[in-house]
Amino acid sequence: MPTALAWSNVRSNRTSLVAAFTAITLAVMLVVGAGLLLTSAHGDGRLRDLMSLFAVTAGLSGFVSIFVVAGTLSLHVLQQRRTWGLLRAVGMTPGQVRRLVVAEALTVAAVACVAGSALAVPQASVTAAFLTRVGLAPGGFEVALAAPPFIVGAAVGIVVTLLAALTASRTAARVGPLEVLRDSAAPARVLPWRRAAVGLAALTGGGVLLRVTSTASLTDAVPLGVVVTMALCVAGSAFGPVLLRVVGGLLAAPIAALDPGPGALARAAVTVQPRRAAAVASPVMLTVALACTFVFAIAIADTSDGRERAGVQFWAVVLLIGTAVVYTMISVLNSTAMSMSTRASELRLLRSTGATPRQLARALCWESLIATCSGTLVGTLIAVVSLGAVSLAGTGAPWFGFSLPLYLALVGLCAAGGVLGALLSTRRARRGSLVTG
Amino acid sequence: MNADGGSAVRFDRVSRTYGGGPTGVAALREVSPQFRRGSFTAVMGPSGSGKSTLLHCGAGLDRPTSGSVWIGGADLAGMSQAQLAVLRRDRVGVVFQSFNLVPSLTAEQNVLLPARLGRRRPERTRLREIFDQVGLTGRERRRPGELSGGQQQRVAIARALLSRPEVIFADEPTGALDRSTGKEVLALLRAAVDEHGQTVVMVTHDPEAATWADRVLFLTDGRVVDELDRPTARQVTERLSRTDGQP
Repeated sequence: MPTALAWSNVRSNRTSLVAAFTAITLAVMLVVGAGLLLTSAHGDGRLRDLMSLFAVTAGLSGFVSIFVVAGTLSLHVLQQRRTWGLLRAVGMTPGQVRRLVVAEALTVAAVACVAGSALAVPQASVTAAFLTRVGLAPGGFEVALAAPPFIVGAAVGIVVTLLAALTASRTAARVGPLEVLRDSAAPARVLPWRRAAVGLAALTGGGVLLRVTSTASLTDAVPLGVVVTMALCVAGSAFGPVLLRVVGGLLAAPIAALDPGPGALARAAVTVQPRRAAAVASPVMLTVALACTFVFAIAIADTSDGRERAGVQFWAVVLLIGTAVVYTMISVLNSTAMSMSTRASELRLLRSTGATPRQLARALCWESLIATCSGTLVGTLIAVVSLGAVSLAGTGAPWFGFSLPLYLALVGLCAAGGVLGALLSTRRARRGSLVTG
Repeated sequence: MNADGGSAVRFDRVSRTYGGGPTGVAALREVSPQFRRGSFTAVMGPSGSGKSTLLHCGAGLDRPTSGSVWIGGADLAGMSQAQLAVLRRDRVGVVFQSFNLVPSLTAEQNVLLPARLGRRRPERTRLREIFDQVGLTGRERRRPGELSGGQQQRVAIARALLSRPEVIFADEPTGALDRSTGKEVLALLRAAVDEHGQTVVMVTHDPEAATWADRVLFLTDGRVVDELDRPTARQVTERLSRTDGQP
């Protein structure tokens, strides 16, 4: 029974699940693509340097996908509260609701795995052609198709979705049958103890690794630094709603003072519903932290080795990391669009009480900027801490050089993704007719 | 004073058709009701009769296909979306059946919203007065989720009253409330008319609610078919059954 219902649910909630589909498809594509490059490069001595880069890209994509898929699924579950309540009211048990959510997610994941695998082949070919062109790979480097990357990619897609859906389904199962009668959901606890425990564990682990990194040899310090960043990102994600309430609240205060109407609306949206905003901020934090750590850690290693990488080669590395950045950018756009789409009625209400279309657009831009900036701040902090440790290991001083234009481009991309998502997804509600729909 | 005389709201041969061509549905057909300043009018009729469309056009939430709506001396037809928003912020109050409040804002913030959007800072005394008037003193900091349906509706009315708008449009304001809570809401609307000279236009299904009004308009198939002054519940029920029976 749940499978049939799940399928019809997937079909009728298409918009809400498109975000999850996109996230899983991209994750599978990036993992399979990097895997294909890795297997193609295998056995060629000239490509040893690149192989580690491919491995990092695959790992990074897989790691980021855990957060992005978990984020979109939990957002989906939060937004369908009334559906879960209704199903409970007509006699579904909490266990059945859980199974329904999981079945729904796996249905989407199955389709997404096929789509992602199909897209991976052209993606890998384009990357190979690009690498040959900039001279990082020898001429004649071509992608050879092999089964293992596809198997691994599909497994990543399914396992990540399953884990994310199991977590998200707990929230759905807790929705009471009376929820359907309530207009606005009672705010869930911002920091459930499970989240707090995960966050604390990750923070402690990150702290210990940080000490290890700062005293390690340089060759060990770079990968260790990336692991520290990953651990701190897990902590940052777990504490996300709390961080957002504090950091977002601080950022929002001057905005609310400068632009009283729209600014105050944005502040209320971020601080009262920090979980929604955290779904946007979290991928930004991940991108900024991971991309900065990775790119600048290589730069630190090069400096201390006295090596000077050619400009083209440096940017090629940046571009490879860029695929992961694009992934998170899309997920920022995704989650912003998702958290906005169900707010059409709220936007109409605001218009009917006298908000002009321009004021609404401003409120939405502020809101998404507060979320992305909070993510950027926390992500930067994480990167600075890990890079400081890597630098201590390499040069004995915690100071390190970094490329400001690259950093600003990264931050700008994330902010633009957020604002674009917010504005595109609310176009109709902001300007269209006030009464229909 | 212009040709409007004592009208707070004037409809001039207003039609509203949804969809075009032969399949279009006419919700309003050339209606021209007027609402006197300081009056309380109930608009009734079977579902699909166009009563909500009438209200939406009056409040500038929807635009007529033809004809014009005047509020005071202003023609809504010539206004941009932004100008209409400013109108709703300052001169018109709107109350819906449900989902009237922004969930993330407190009761007080919801009431202050139109003023904030207009970058005005209302006096604390006025705010206290309005919360006292709707009987919600002490609940200013609650969020909509922590208030009952009746309390939420009173917050919505407080918001509509704060700027002392000329006209208040209410769409089934008691539709989601029990009888005694509904009465409190109707009393607030009545007081806005009697004590502050505001104009109220209320769409309702409930003959009992209609008796709080000075006048009842009956709509059927997008036309005003009947009118009743100083209505009693019995008269209203009787007229309703008559208009219902019309072809």
